Amino acid sequence: MKVDNSLPLEYGTEQNKLNILGFWIFLGAEVMLFATLFATYFTLENRTGNGPAGAEIFELTPVLIETILLLTSSFTIGLGVHAMRLGRKNAMITFFSITLLLGLAFLGVEIYEFTHYASIGAGLQVSAFTGILLTTLGTHGAHVTLGLFWGLFIIMQVKKRGLTPETANKSFIFSLYWHFLDVVWIFIFSFIYLKGMM
Amino acid sequence: MSELFPRKQVMGFVFSLVLTAAALTVYFMDVSFAVGMTILLATAFIQAGVQLVGFMHAGESEDKVAIYANIYYGIAIALVTIFGTLLILVWDM
Repeated sequence: MKVDNSLPLEYGTEQNKLNILGFWIFLGAEVMLFATLFATYFTLENRTGNGPAGAEIFELTPVLIETILLLTSSFTIGLGVHAMRLGRKNAMITFFSITLLLGLAFLGVEIYEFTHYASIGAGLQVSAFTGILLTTLGTHGAHVTLGLFWGLFIIMQVKKRGLTPETANKSFIFSLYWHFLDVVWIFIFSFIYLKGMM
Repeated sequence: MSELFPRKQVMGFVFSLVLTAAALTVYFMDVSFAVGMTILLATAFIQAGVQLVGFMHAGESEDKVAIYANIYYGIAIALVTIFGTLLILVWDM
């Protein structure tokens, strides 16, 4: 395996570069997935039937907590990648662990939010609005859940094998995924919650 | 220790928080729908840009052109899908 030492470890081999490019293309497809969900949300937003409207069920506090948690986790994983590039394995593992804990806290608040919606009569099958709302939020939440397990396995590999071109590459790609989830959340926060409460 | 907290990323994080606070003005202040949406569109897209360029290092490798082309293409198709849907199904044009 030819390793180019002039580049960060995660770009070190030809395969690594292609993996990163390939993951960006995957993220392009993910953009499309969320775009269709947003398009459907904007279409069905006012079809509330006998159920509640967004303004009646959205609460700022949990949403703001979720936003801060995810924003901070996106920052800490960025620091993790930076530490990785300095070759500071333990610092990197610490930052990745903090990231996952913040992600877990985010998921906790979101699960609370979902049970709260269900308890006040805004379940999945109540109206077109609640259906698409929970589908959009749930798709994002499912991505975060997947990310938690993925990140956990990445940390275990780095612990076991150290920082190699392969583990660095996997860690960097995971950081791309995690930042992307934060980008999606920014749009959910702005155009579902804040727009709904405006 | 300070080498673990690069200035660029700390500033990016602070900037994200400021943009989040700016977006909150639509909740706490009495703004019209048009003004509110303008604020939200601006804060959301700037924040997405901070993530992509600052945190995701979109422009650092030799595949930069392909990566940016892919991002712009993704955004363009997303906007066409969303605004096309709005035009036909919501704004009834």
